[in-house]
Amino acid sequence: MRGLKSIYNSERFLRILFGSALFVVLCMGGLAYKYIRDLSESFILVQHTYEVHIELEKLTTLLKDAESGKRGFIISKDTTFLSPLINNREKLAETLENVKNLTADSPEQNANIAVLQEKIGQSMAIFDQTLAMAKDSLTHTQEFRNAFTRGRFIMNSIRNKVNEMTMHENELLKERREESSESLSNAPLMVYYTLIISLCILLITYAQLSRSLKVLRTKNEQLETFKEATNQSAMISKYGNWIWHVDEETFEFSDNLYRLLGEKPQSFAPTIDNFMEFVHPEDQERFVDQVNQMYLNRDLPYLHYRIIQRDGTLKHFKAYAKLGKDSEGHQRLIGTTTDITDEKENYRILEEKNAELERNNEELASFNYVASHDLQEPLRKIQTFISRLEDKELHQLSDSGKLYIERIKTSASRMRSLIDDLLQYSRTNRSETSMEFTNINELIEAAKHDLAEVIEEKHATVKVESIPEMKVIPFQIKQLFLNLISNSIKYSKEDEAPIINICYSKTKSSQMPWLKSVKYKSYHTIAISDNGIGFEPSYAEKIFVLFNRLHSKGTYSGTGIGLSICKKIMNNHNGFIQAEGRPNNGAIFTVYLPVH
Amino acid sequence: MNKDVTYVVLADDDEDDRLFFTEAFDELKITTQVETYEDGVALMKALNCEDASIPNILFLDLNMPKKSGLECLKEIKKSKRFQDMAVAIYSTSASEEDIENTFVNGANIYIKKPSDFNTLKRILSDVVTINWQYHTSGLNRDNFLLRL
Repeated sequence: MRGLKSIYNSERFLRILFGSALFVVLCMGGLAYKYIRDLSESFILVQHTYEVHIELEKLTTLLKDAESGKRGFIISKDTTFLSPLINNREKLAETLENVKNLTADSPEQNANIAVLQEKIGQSMAIFDQTLAMAKDSLTHTQEFRNAFTRGRFIMNSIRNKVNEMTMHENELLKERREESSESLSNAPLMVYYTLIISLCILLITYAQLSRSLKVLRTKNEQLETFKEATNQSAMISKYGNWIWHVDEETFEFSDNLYRLLGEKPQSFAPTIDNFMEFVHPEDQERFVDQVNQMYLNRDLPYLHYRIIQRDGTLKHFKAYAKLGKDSEGHQRLIGTTTDITDEKENYRILEEKNAELERNNEELASFNYVASHDLQEPLRKIQTFISRLEDKELHQLSDSGKLYIERIKTSASRMRSLIDDLLQYSRTNRSETSMEFTNINELIEAAKHDLAEVIEEKHATVKVESIPEMKVIPFQIKQLFLNLISNSIKYSKEDEAPIINICYSKTKSSQMPWLKSVKYKSYHTIAISDNGIGFEPSYAEKIFVLFNRLHSKGTYSGTGIGLSICKKIMNNHNGFIQAEGRPNNGAIFTVYLPVH
Repeated sequence: MNKDVTYVVLADDDEDDRLFFTEAFDELKITTQVETYEDGVALMKALNCEDASIPNILFLDLNMPKKSGLECLKEIKKSKRFQDMAVAIYSTSASEEDIENTFVNGANIYIKKPSDFNTLKRILSDVVTINWQYHTSGLNRDNFLLRL
């Protein structure tokens, strides 16, 4: 998303760049236009000046021609010399008119021309006068000489005037050139700069564009990867997507949706009617209802239905959809349809297994009843009859008969304790009672109370530390302590009074490396240690196995069920029990209860 | 019926148990009249007989054919006629469920059949000599089950 954001940013940046580039190019165009216009203006001015020059030159030439023609005639009296004089008059007037037109915009030149015209008029008059005199051969007269000299004088003043005008025109040109030269000399540099700037902008734009393109390409690649991954996950987790374009009332089905229907991708037109052909007949009505709801509410809640593939395979589908808008604001409903056939099948299997388990439990419960009632009854009668026999007939029996009676009695009482313990074991179920916060010390006291007789008999000492309240099944924990304490007393040394210590501590699960999975952060730890006969460390786990005994029945009485009950109780509490022992050096049973 | 004689009735389908029961009373030096029935139906028929005298103590086995001890107990507790009669449950099982059910239904004491004849004698002697009015007033779940 960060990449895309940078693209949006760079899009704005690019817009600014293009705007400034456009501005610079426009400025450049304006400058160039102005420059070219200035250039052509100055060209026109120069041309104008030269035209004036030429016309003025022409004027002087014409006058000179007239003058030299006049002189030629005066000297040779040949009238052919006079022809330019006659022609030139018209040309002179014409040229003068030209100059007048060319310099019409300058009042100074106008004044000069007026003077020039007058002088030319005077000069022409003197021409005529001197020519007339020359024709009459009055050239030697003083009057002719005066006129001639005046003519030359006027001629000179005309030349001066023409020169003056040329000079003036040159000055004008120079002035104008100076005026525009500054801007003209700066203009190419300005154009060059703007060109450089616009090139720079173009380069930056290019760099930015290529960077954005690169980001887009990467994003595109990521999108492709994502698409492929989605395709794969759709296939593996068996779901397909569809889009309903609400405004156009058209549908789009993803490839995997077709596969879910057992068809090749895009093998038929994605319409509701085509899809309906696959829906199980019994589910069609509900399906149509829901789809109509979808049209109405533009929302589809979870919908469960069955479909039948063309080959007859039944599948369970689950669909869900949500309304959204695309980038152009069109409403569209994006939906997902999942094949939950496996899920359903697993659920069915699970339910079957559960039912089986329930049946098994019921059987177990009835077995419990058989054990508690039917099995105990004959045993109780055997025991009662033995006691009747002992009371009434014992004196009639031989010594071996008495021994046999004794043996039957022992066996019967052993069988009784076995049945009792087994019942206890099978009744130790989690479901029996719920957990509650209980004072553990009170439970231990109750257990001690139950064992008061044997404790007194063996002169046992039971020391208990203060233990905090815990969430337990009270009667089971009482049973646990009862079993553990009586165990310690049972396996005490013959020559030493049993001392039992019950200590409390708290252990973090990180300090219990043997934990297979950590479900609780810490555990209440209660250690029950004694000074009894202990056991070989290698039996530490075996002693918790049902009916497992470490000693022969003759040495120590016991059914091999007590510790198994303890283990079961701890399992019920999500806790653990561990035994530690050294032969002839006491045993420690450690109980771990999770801290809730 | 003699007022000094304790009239005791037992309903139990087990022949041996009935034998132990009567023998125990025979050996006890208490003046009792013992009557036994082999199932709940026979018991209820005898009890409901108009002119039959009402026992002082009724011992009820729970697991009986035709009519169980619990059914008999419920029936008895419905009738005002038997309100002065003490009902002792006399059963092989001592399951929590049975104890709870009979306690709730108004039995006065729960006896688990002992596996020793002398113990049986002691229990029966104790039960017969209990001051029932006193016992019933202080009855709770803890002292309901007779402990020895």
